[in-house]
Amino acid sequence: MSRVLEFSLPEGLNAKEPPELRGSRRRDGVRLLVLNRRTGRVIHSLFDRICDFLVPGDLLVFNASRTLPALLVGRRESDKSRVELRLASHLSDDSWLALIRNALCEDCPVRGETNSVINFDLGLSARLESPHKEIPGMWKVRFSASGSALVDLIYRLGEPVRYRYVSRPWRLNYYQTVYAREPGSAEMPSAGRAFTWETFLRLRKKGIETAYTTLHTGLSSYLDDELDRRHPGFEEEYDIGERAASKIRVACSTGRRVIAVGTTVVRALESAAQADGIVSAGHRYTGLRITPDTALRVTDGILTGLHEPAASHLELLSAFISPALLREAYIDAVRLRYLWHEFGDLNLII
Amino acid sequence: MERLNAKHVLITGASRGLGRQLALDFSREGAAALALCARNRDSLRVLEREIDEIAPDTNVIVIEADMSRPVDIERLFAVALSEFHGRLDVLINNASALGPAPIPFLLDYPLEDFQTVLNTNLVGPYLAIRESLPAMFERGGSIINVTSDAGIVGYAGWGAYGISKFGLEGLSQTWAAELAETQVRVNWVDPGSMNTAMHRAAEPDEDPEQWADPADVTEVFIYLASDESKGVTGRRFEAQKFSSERAENHHVSGA
Repeated sequence: MSRVLEFSLPEGLNAKEPPELRGSRRRDGVRLLVLNRRTGRVIHSLFDRICDFLVPGDLLVFNASRTLPALLVGRRESDKSRVELRLASHLSDDSWLALIRNALCEDCPVRGETNSVINFDLGLSARLESPHKEIPGMWKVRFSASGSALVDLIYRLGEPVRYRYVSRPWRLNYYQTVYAREPGSAEMPSAGRAFTWETFLRLRKKGIETAYTTLHTGLSSYLDDELDRRHPGFEEEYDIGERAASKIRVACSTGRRVIAVGTTVVRALESAAQADGIVSAGHRYTGLRITPDTALRVTDGILTGLHEPAASHLELLSAFISPALLREAYIDAVRLRYLWHEFGDLNLII
Repeated sequence: MERLNAKHVLITGASRGLGRQLALDFSREGAAALALCARNRDSLRVLEREIDEIAPDTNVIVIEADMSRPVDIERLFAVALSEFHGRLDVLINNASALGPAPIPFLLDYPLEDFQTVLNTNLVGPYLAIRESLPAMFERGGSIINVTSDAGIVGYAGWGAYGISKFGLEGLSQTWAAELAETQVRVNWVDPGSMNTAMHRAAEPDEDPEQWADPADVTEVFIYLASDESKGVTGRRFEAQKFSSERAENHHVSGA
């Protein structure tokens, strides 16, 4: 990670609750930092004015993945101790990657054993198949249920993954975008959280197009600071339908801007882009890591949240804008007390 | 036949009465997938097997959910959209709670029952529409709310049920107005008096033979769920009148 992406984030700038509970009483009541990716010029605005920064013909691409209540608490069959399982990713062989921790002590890893079993309520169980090579506590697990039956049980048993900066548990629907469809994300694809149906209608009136993809997001933290700085990734499931692929191809071929709503969309689109930059439809997995050296083939801009110092997401943003300009904008955002994280303010880089 | 070819449909209150009949008739009309929801999973399982015999190609998923509980509604749509890979073309808000039967006068109505009826019959459909919009906003879709003449006339002795249906009429009109510029259509249907367990409980002194069979009222639902009603939104339908007119037109055109 380049030093220019390091900055100091005061504790008070963590968004602790959803914006609709902060005073504006509205989902779209967040600030918008608009950043010109070539000049670095910054405009401080409000999210409900986002249409002012878009032009007819722009194509906004969203991640319509629905957030799972991905934190499950169960008991190890061997010693009956309570463990917490954080779902991270659904794998192609229908197993899952999950981070397993001691339920009573978030920082205490649990020594798992291959073939050991964790039992949950309602008859659900998970068998540990193999540990992840790079992430301590991360296991490949197989549940006793699958498909929509497993989704049903996860919804009955689970709760949303929550980090320490969030003041208290919030209901799952606070962790959903209004356009969320198929469930599968461990954490909310939060860049689109501020969109309301009213915003969509305004976008449509202005001639701004929309398309939807699905990339089920993994965990943003492994509850280990050193590991989080490196953030070794794993493959994430994504799906781009023919309808979306076609809209993206047409936008690209006619020179219109493709703006990703969230880093997940950038990863999905750039993963699906062939050498000639044409995006093909399909259901695939990607482990693509986008860095300042990545030549973006599809996306011209991004709407995203504000990310922590040294977070891997900042590397991705540096593919859009020079790290020096990004750092200046972030220092400005800290000075003006923008709010960070999933319930925080937003940053449009175009 | 096959008017619902390729449609993905979610029906609440599907275990009996009108909801059950809609599930059967929609499968006969070629629906690609049906998500059937009710509080009683066993009845849904029986229905699932019945549909499998009528229409083996229809993908049926049964989901146990109580429409008075927001967390159940959230789970219902998560499960259905997981099974249908994010697709949903038709939502039928059919589930209804009658409340205590025989229905007490409002002066005697228990508050808890009043709230449960409003939650099931009014808040439930509101949340269900919200949950279905993400799947419909881009491709279009049809939302059909089941109302009653007790939703336009305040009858003595129909308690919270009638009041909830007044609310549902307003809810339907408001959703239809707000979604007028989209391809999501909202219509509402009064099925009229039907010989169902709920109606028999509401009017135990009446002769149920005088009421229509649920099979006689499904035609308008098929019409509204199909592409035949493309562009039709914001309208109230009377199911029995619709069926009679259709039958008459069919008779005339066939004569």
